[in-house]
Amino acid sequence: MISVRHLKKSFGDLEVLKDINVDIKQKEVVVVIGPSGSGKSTFLRCLNLIESVTDGTVTIDGEELTDKKVDINKLRAEVGMVFQQFNLFPHKTVLENITLPIVTVKKWSKQDAEKKAKDLLQKVGLLDKAKVYPESLSGGQKQRVAIARALGMEPKVMLFDEPTSALDPEMVGEVLGVMKQLAEEGMTMVVVTHEMGFAKEVGDRVIFMDEGYVVEENEPKQLFDNPQHDRTKAFLSKVL
Amino acid sequence: MDFRSDIIVEYFPFFMEGMGLTILMSVVGVLMGCILGFFIALGKMSPILIVRLPFIWYINFLRGTPLLVQLFLFHYAALPAILGSTTPVISVMVTLSLNSSAYVAEIFRAGLQSIDKGQAEAAHSLGMNKFQVMRHVLLPQAFKRSIPPLGNEFIVLLKDSSLGAMIAAQDILYWGRAASGQYLRVWEPYLMVALIYLVLTLSLTYLLNYLERRLDVK
Repeated sequence: MISVRHLKKSFGDLEVLKDINVDIKQKEVVVVIGPSGSGKSTFLRCLNLIESVTDGTVTIDGEELTDKKVDINKLRAEVGMVFQQFNLFPHKTVLENITLPIVTVKKWSKQDAEKKAKDLLQKVGLLDKAKVYPESLSGGQKQRVAIARALGMEPKVMLFDEPTSALDPEMVGEVLGVMKQLAEEGMTMVVVTHEMGFAKEVGDRVIFMDEGYVVEENEPKQLFDNPQHDRTKAFLSKVL
Repeated sequence: MDFRSDIIVEYFPFFMEGMGLTILMSVVGVLMGCILGFFIALGKMSPILIVRLPFIWYINFLRGTPLLVQLFLFHYAALPAILGSTTPVISVMVTLSLNSSAYVAEIFRAGLQSIDKGQAEAAHSLGMNKFQVMRHVLLPQAFKRSIPPLGNEFIVLLKDSSLGAMIAAQDILYWGRAASGQYLRVWEPYLMVALIYLVLTLSLTYLLNYLERRLDVK
């Protein structure tokens, strides 16, 4: 599904991603963990080219994103992304947040888009909030709307960039609940998170990154109970 | 000191005519300024220096030289050279439009750059192209944030339009000077002129406050 080869990313002289090679299968839930500054968010942002790639290739479902000739907007529409800071459009209602990309990018009619949006709001439990503006929602509700908005494009893959890090603790559960449901429905997901419980419970595989490299990857149980590398051990001893 | 209100009464119709022209010139100036300013803001934000440079110097010139000098330059030199001839009203409108476009461009640019970059990232991640991101996500938010400074610009422009009297555009101040010249009085005409400008700017201030509340500008 996703194939990353020799991915490198630099910001000026700072090399953030040094040589990343990762394969992600369809319906797989991959959780990326690592200390801050390890490059895990940058890695995720390279998977839909929100961050430009310095070198290497990213291929999703047979199409190479990093190829200069591809229509990047079309490919991005097939990769959903959920951000730490939600990034809902504050001047649009909850419903409009979801319908806007469906109407402008997928070119659906307004009625069809609204029907789709309402189905999605139902799914994340926020149908009663359709007409309100994002500012009146709690953090957890905002993030669920953001997930619904991304799902509106019917993506093949969903990327989550620390989706619960900006939330009050009591709201983390409702967002993780929606993500878990998505995973059970067979969505291919790449999740950057500090929620080790989620990684253990929902993840098919955990990738540990440090200093721009993938240090270790394994099934959650193996990686958490029996880490092979010293750096993984040191990190896990701090967070678990 | 006696106060000759009969001068004000006699000139009242002319002051009202002048007020109409002042409003017309200001409205044209601010509308054209907004339209031009929008494109100049986009030009000045180009990532390519060669594209950006002319816009930078357009703004530098119009913000860095006195409006009265620009008015003389357009009325006596530039417009006759380009159009063959000009009238005071056309010259004032052109000068106000260009001058305000430079200020409005900076207002729009500040508005656009104040929008969190996560907004554009989210829109791009949903597959929207640059035009769609600008049209549906960035501009509506930037425009809303630009309303208070645009209102200030409109008030400044309205007052600055009085410079038109220097090239004999028949605005409020023009008629004040005419009355002063005819009766050799200074208090009555100029107090009246000041009062009319004050009424206009205060009305505009209240109108803008109302608009800001309606549009819920923060």
